Amino acid sequence: MTGRGCMSVACVEAVKLLAQIKSRIVFAVCILAPFAFAVAIRLQNSLPEDTLFGRSVKESGFAVSLVVLGFAALWVLPALTSIVGGDVFAAEDRYGTWKTLLTRSRSRAEVFAGKIIVSLAFTALAVAALALSSMASGVLVIGGQPLIDLSGVLLPPSRALGRVALAWISMVPPTLAFTALAVLISVATRSSSAGIGLPVLIALTMQMCAFLDGPEIFRGLLITSAFSAWHGLLAEPPYYRPLVYGTLVSAAYFAGCLAIASRLLQRRDIGG
Amino acid sequence: MRANVQPFALDVRGVSKQYGSRDALRGVDLTVESGQLHGLLGPNGAGKTTLLRVMLGLITHDAGTVQIFGRDLNDRIARVPDGVAGFVEAPAFYPYLSGRQNLELLSCLDDETAFGRSRVLDARLEQVGLQAHASEPVAVYSAGMRQRLGLASALLRSPRLLFLDEPTSSLDPAGARDVRAVVRRLAGDGTAIVFSSHDMAEVEDLCATLTVIERGQVIFSGTIDQLRKRAPTDVHLLRTSNDRAALELASRRRGIRIDTNHDAGIHISALDSEALDGYVIALGCAGIAVRLLERRTRSLESLFLELTDRPAGPES
Repeated sequence: MTGRGCMSVACVEAVKLLAQIKSRIVFAVCILAPFAFAVAIRLQNSLPEDTLFGRSVKESGFAVSLVVLGFAALWVLPALTSIVGGDVFAAEDRYGTWKTLLTRSRSRAEVFAGKIIVSLAFTALAVAALALSSMASGVLVIGGQPLIDLSGVLLPPSRALGRVALAWISMVPPTLAFTALAVLISVATRSSSAGIGLPVLIALTMQMCAFLDGPEIFRGLLITSAFSAWHGLLAEPPYYRPLVYGTLVSAAYFAGCLAIASRLLQRRDIGG
Repeated sequence: MRANVQPFALDVRGVSKQYGSRDALRGVDLTVESGQLHGLLGPNGAGKTTLLRVMLGLITHDAGTVQIFGRDLNDRIARVPDGVAGFVEAPAFYPYLSGRQNLELLSCLDDETAFGRSRVLDARLEQVGLQAHASEPVAVYSAGMRQRLGLASALLRSPRLLFLDEPTSSLDPAGARDVRAVVRRLAGDGTAIVFSSHDMAEVEDLCATLTVIERGQVIFSGTIDQLRKRAPTDVHLLRTSNDRAALELASRRRGIRIDTNHDAGIHISALDSEALDGYVIALGCAGIAVRLLERRTRSLESLFLELTDRPAGPES
């Protein structure tokens, strides 16, 4: 396996991805949906009070971004990741193109690595697009006023912006873990429907499991716990333990899922 | 002896493959030299495509060795060696990309600096007669056009060893002729070609050597002349005043076998000249006039059917 080989596969996968309408739709939604939400909030009289920072959405544009983040963490981010991660391998089965791809000058390891690079890059870019768009829409539509954090402390705009940006960055590890899970499902089931649908279902199941009584360590082992680790960043003083723990759990899922997926692909017979 | 000579382009020894309890391949041997056009024949499910998949590294084999240009094919871990190309079953491409874009991406996988090298792509597209449709999405391509694109994608690798799985099966006669011409030219330039086909006439026309597989085993490997020599009986073309009655009579006589039956007459095999003489006399006695009795070269089809032990049905 060579770096050049992996990158040439990644380039090919990127071209394929950009040629598909689904990736353009995903980015369009990531960019436009927060603006639509911010405009709707501004126009309506009521507030989404049962949501974290929902009471503040008309007082600070930064709260808009955090409400979008809270909503996205429920199922949007797992869905976003699985659109590419859950399809990138299974699509080759759907089109019957494994035999075309694997009879060129690239090893299976390079093909695997190239596809993973593109899936992760797409996920990271989609999260970045959603983060930037939600922050921009909040500031442009509502305004860049100070934000009251979860401890009731008023954060000046510059600090609020930094904390909100960090909150979005904290979404990257669990989102990449879900991408790896989607990849594993895609490789194992060879089905795009399963690759895209199951990660969302698993995310919702994990969130339900978090409500159940049981040892704390059990909840800590769920990837979805990492999606709420950003709360510590919006407290005074900030606490980082859930963030570190969530990142470690996400890394474990990430490595485990990709290792199994890679093994499955290496051992697979490419039949008819 | 092949000492001090170049290794075979392809040297398959004792390759076996099992799917569960079913033997897909059993101790298959196959050798192909550079510039040789080697036919791979066998009925459906005989193991031809499985063998092609093994040779292209798409599936692992349970036993035996596959050497390509003297080097072991290292299962699925390694990439397909340079100079080796081909396709199995119907070639598949990304339907949302054009034929040209598909080739561009595939050539980029072979050589990352190849992106945008339009001259080579144009040449390949022209070679397979697809240039006029190069910008259309593959989704609208017919099966024949995909087959042509499959050949173009294989040619992009400048193959010295080429595996083709029924490359003309979806083509019209003119398209099939063009593909055969390309294949002949490649073999003439020194490319070793394994040509899998159901079309006996095509294999007979193209290939000097062939391997016949039945139930995962090689039942013949050699030249077409050698295959003909294995048939102990002569074949004759017979035309009579009443072919139906002649057929019925032939079916009742020992030492006479009906190979094929079509408008041009009946192809019969006689065990020996005594059996043939007896049959002709019997035709006369039955009031059936013999209008033509001509010794013919045995068709590859009849030999194939004899080898694979399948009854020869009447041809339409």
